[in-house]
Amino acid sequence: MFFDTALSTNDLIFLARGAGMTLIVTAISVFFGTVMGIVFGVFRYQVGPWWAAPLTFVLDIFRSIPLLIQLVLANAFVTTVLGWRVSGFTVACGVLSLYTAAYCAEIVRGGIEAVPPTLRRAARSLGMSWGQDMTSVVMPLAARIALPSWIGLALGVMKDSALVYVVQVVELLKSAQILITRLQEPLFLLIVCGSFYFLISFPIARFGGYLERKWSRD
Amino acid sequence: MKSSILAMSVIAATGLAAPAFADKLDDIISSGTLRCAVVLDFPPMGSRDESNTPIGFDVDYCNDLAAALGVEAEIVETTFPERIPALMSGRVDVAVASTSDTLERAKTVGFSIPYYAFENAVVANEGVEMADWEGMRGKTVGATAGTYEAIWLEEKVAEWGEGSFRPYQNQADVFLALSQGQLDATVSTVEVAEANVASGNFPGIKIVDKAPMVPDYVALITLREEYGLINYMNLFINQQVRTGRYDELYEKWVGEGEPADLTVQGVYR
Repeated sequence: MFFDTALSTNDLIFLARGAGMTLIVTAISVFFGTVMGIVFGVFRYQVGPWWAAPLTFVLDIFRSIPLLIQLVLANAFVTTVLGWRVSGFTVACGVLSLYTAAYCAEIVRGGIEAVPPTLRRAARSLGMSWGQDMTSVVMPLAARIALPSWIGLALGVMKDSALVYVVQVVELLKSAQILITRLQEPLFLLIVCGSFYFLISFPIARFGGYLERKWSRD
Repeated sequence: MKSSILAMSVIAATGLAAPAFADKLDDIISSGTLRCAVVLDFPPMGSRDESNTPIGFDVDYCNDLAAALGVEAEIVETTFPERIPALMSGRVDVAVASTSDTLERAKTVGFSIPYYAFENAVVANEGVEMADWEGMRGKTVGATAGTYEAIWLEEKVAEWGEGSFRPYQNQADVFLALSQGQLDATVSTVEVAEANVASGNFPGIKIVDKAPMVPDYVALITLREEYGLINYMNLFINQQVRTGRYDELYEKWVGEGEPADLTVQGVYR
């Protein structure tokens, strides 16, 4: 080592476990958030702004209240009002999934709206059903348009997942904070923690770029 | 008419004799976990070891309470200002977090009887003859300026009319001066004194006596209305002292010597 640090291998494993937790929470939330987001987005497009107003309102709540407050309130609601004994991990995944779904619904709706209506009418005049139109015409086109925003959303959710420490989930940033309290080396530990985040985010961003290039060729 | 009155009174009686709702004590036992808020940057009461596991007096105390209840303990790390919000928002069941039992806080949360008390010790240079705290009379004493200990010492020096008082910028300076013999004695919390003596960073100092200052009593807290749990915690604290566990934990985390007396002379509770 070219400089002194009290950081041990044990602590690096501790940080890696935190990174693992960040990845798991992100993967679960992005997965369920995307599934729900597609359902909500298609629903919003299909029924029109008037009938979708209640759903839009609910999703707007998730988009406009800071995630930290959502997590604390959801946890308090579930544990004290409903009286359920659920783990912080479950609450974190639930709130983050809804938060992701709220943003994803907008991305999906934007993607569908970007498909030219004339093209869709042509598909229907060829005798395609609504389902066929959606899966064979709209989905491939909308996915290409929505992909960059979706990758951005996934990366954003990964970084926002740092807030789940308020419901006792020890993820990457919290692990780093625990080490900072013990070792009193804040700058060094934050650099290490930041590198961990970069190591996780960079491949996702590159994968998104790869998909974009691949899809634009066919 | 009569039957309707009878029916109504029956309904009223059943309403009054409504089944007792499960309180927090029941909830903890049925859930199988006791969630304790513990402050983990406050050694020796709470900190983390090399493998980042929570350790300390408060951690052991929470584990003991959980064991008494027959449930698993879950240590929830909080900061000092976060203790009461964590309790109010249902993130923890109790706080075992060295909470001073102030009347202001008692408006919000329910306190048990004190489970620990932070006392002050007289620490002297080994070269100075001193049998007890009154031995500071006529000596050169010092403490960190503006602290409770400093105010008390300064008053004592003025009262004795002999000796002198020197204020310092921080605690490390006080102990350095004491170690180098510039000071004859100082007063600090027992925990700090024990830690500084044990650290070996300040050779030539010794703990002489406890200072006769009002200790900082700390208690367990839970929600204000949870009398069942507060009763249980009171008895639990009583048992910890009675069975010698309190002395044991004091020796393990603070050091040799007599832990603070948790009773106050001349008043109930």
